[in-house]
Amino acid sequence: MIYKRHSRRDFLKTAGVLTAMTAMGGLPSPLFADEKRLVKFPEKTDLILLTQRPPQLETPPAYFKELITPNNALFVRWHISRVPTSIDLNQWRLKVGGNTENELQLSMDDLKKCERVTYTAVLQCSGNGRSLFEPRVAGGQWKNGAMGNVIFTGARLKDILNKAGLKAGSADVSFDGLDRPPLPSVPDFVKSLPLDKAMEEDVIVAYEMNGQYMPMLNGFPVRLVVPGWYATYWVKALTEITVLPKQFEGFWVKTAYRIPDTPCGCVDPGSSPKKTIPIHRMTTRSLIIDPEDKTKIKVNKPFEIMGIAFSGGYSIKQVLVSVDEGRIWKEARLGQDRGRYSWVQWFYPWKPAKPGKYTLMAKATNSIGESQPFEGLWNPAGYLWNKVERVEVLVS
Amino acid sequence: MKFISVIAILLSLAAGIIYSWAQGTTYSINLPEARVELKPGEALTKVETFCNICHSLDYIIMQPKFTKPQWTATVSKMIKVFGAPISEEDERLIVNYLVAQYGARN
Repeated sequence: MIYKRHSRRDFLKTAGVLTAMTAMGGLPSPLFADEKRLVKFPEKTDLILLTQRPPQLETPPAYFKELITPNNALFVRWHISRVPTSIDLNQWRLKVGGNTENELQLSMDDLKKCERVTYTAVLQCSGNGRSLFEPRVAGGQWKNGAMGNVIFTGARLKDILNKAGLKAGSADVSFDGLDRPPLPSVPDFVKSLPLDKAMEEDVIVAYEMNGQYMPMLNGFPVRLVVPGWYATYWVKALTEITVLPKQFEGFWVKTAYRIPDTPCGCVDPGSSPKKTIPIHRMTTRSLIIDPEDKTKIKVNKPFEIMGIAFSGGYSIKQVLVSVDEGRIWKEARLGQDRGRYSWVQWFYPWKPAKPGKYTLMAKATNSIGESQPFEGLWNPAGYLWNKVERVEVLVS
Repeated sequence: MKFISVIAILLSLAAGIIYSWAQGTTYSINLPEARVELKPGEALTKVETFCNICHSLDYIIMQPKFTKPQWTATVSKMIKVFGAPISEEDERLIVNYLVAQYGARN
């Protein structure tokens, strides 16, 4: 894995130089293909750099050993380059209007007067794992670090919409953030949800991440949280909610972020889907976090294999682990249950008796029977990645 | 190296990269300025000028090694979908540069 290319010393050196360059208002160059760099952005720890403007930063895999992803390690992904960098909370308002009885201008205090809702949820980019697609596809070349498990706190979207008063004939609700396009021709990043989804109990306007204000790069002061669905809907720096009497027609729903309208959301590799629908619920995944790929393990010593598993809003029922490339599968022990939107940690005790190369695999199944494929399912945009991962270790 | 690291830490503190509530209710960050060097080539200046309008140049480096049809489709999307103000002649030069420097060898 790429992360292995950094020795501790290289890491410190890169981090130090980058901090200096950042302070002087620039990042070092050149930046070559396949050479991933750790960078430090405001309020963030060292993250893997994908792109600088707009920022796309990936979480290094070591952070996934934690049940909860720290705010400073959570991945960053913006679509259009005029990203908000300064917000005066006295001036800031969340506007709610459109097909409603009232127009609202909610302050942070107003939001906090709504019933406070808290839960843990996986936030995952639609394109997480895109770099693993074969054949490769265009877009942000994420490995598996465009995800995190975070405690969100906020006000129910339903309560806010009811306060505004929905008029008859409402169909969709759109969400706009403070980010703005660099050219008038670039479509502003606006997303929408069908009204019935928007009115679900667990969709919230979050003002806290892990009990604190969220970092600016993760959507300060508030972001939409649609647990179980991909992060594309979790609009950052949310500033305007509009109830629409008809279907939303904006670019980022009508044209972008679409998956093939097939049961697997996939098509034959390299082909185009006949019909597409907006991406929505996350697929079921499990990841082996420890050991990392290409690690050396001692023979005849107990080793606890550890990983995580999650699905799009349904609890993980079972994680099966194989240490012999899929011949024999045994059940892993599941850790603390933090609810159906959170990931669950799993543990599998192992004591390799013979030296050699071992291929570890893990496969999760959720409470409605959804699981993972052994071959990567392909779609042109590189979404829904949930192939059973393989981790190779050397026992000696 | 040690000295540089110390300077680095002092500079980053001084620059106040991490937000503070010092200015009342305003919350601010300073994003680092993007600087990326691409491989040399005839149309490099055009690539730097046009692509940089909307995104940093690491967007190019990040992509898998595209074939000519893939780079053509990508540049065409930037013009037709996102409105990049690139003439037909420049489009051709930019695609050729991308294929030569960041393309699949086929």
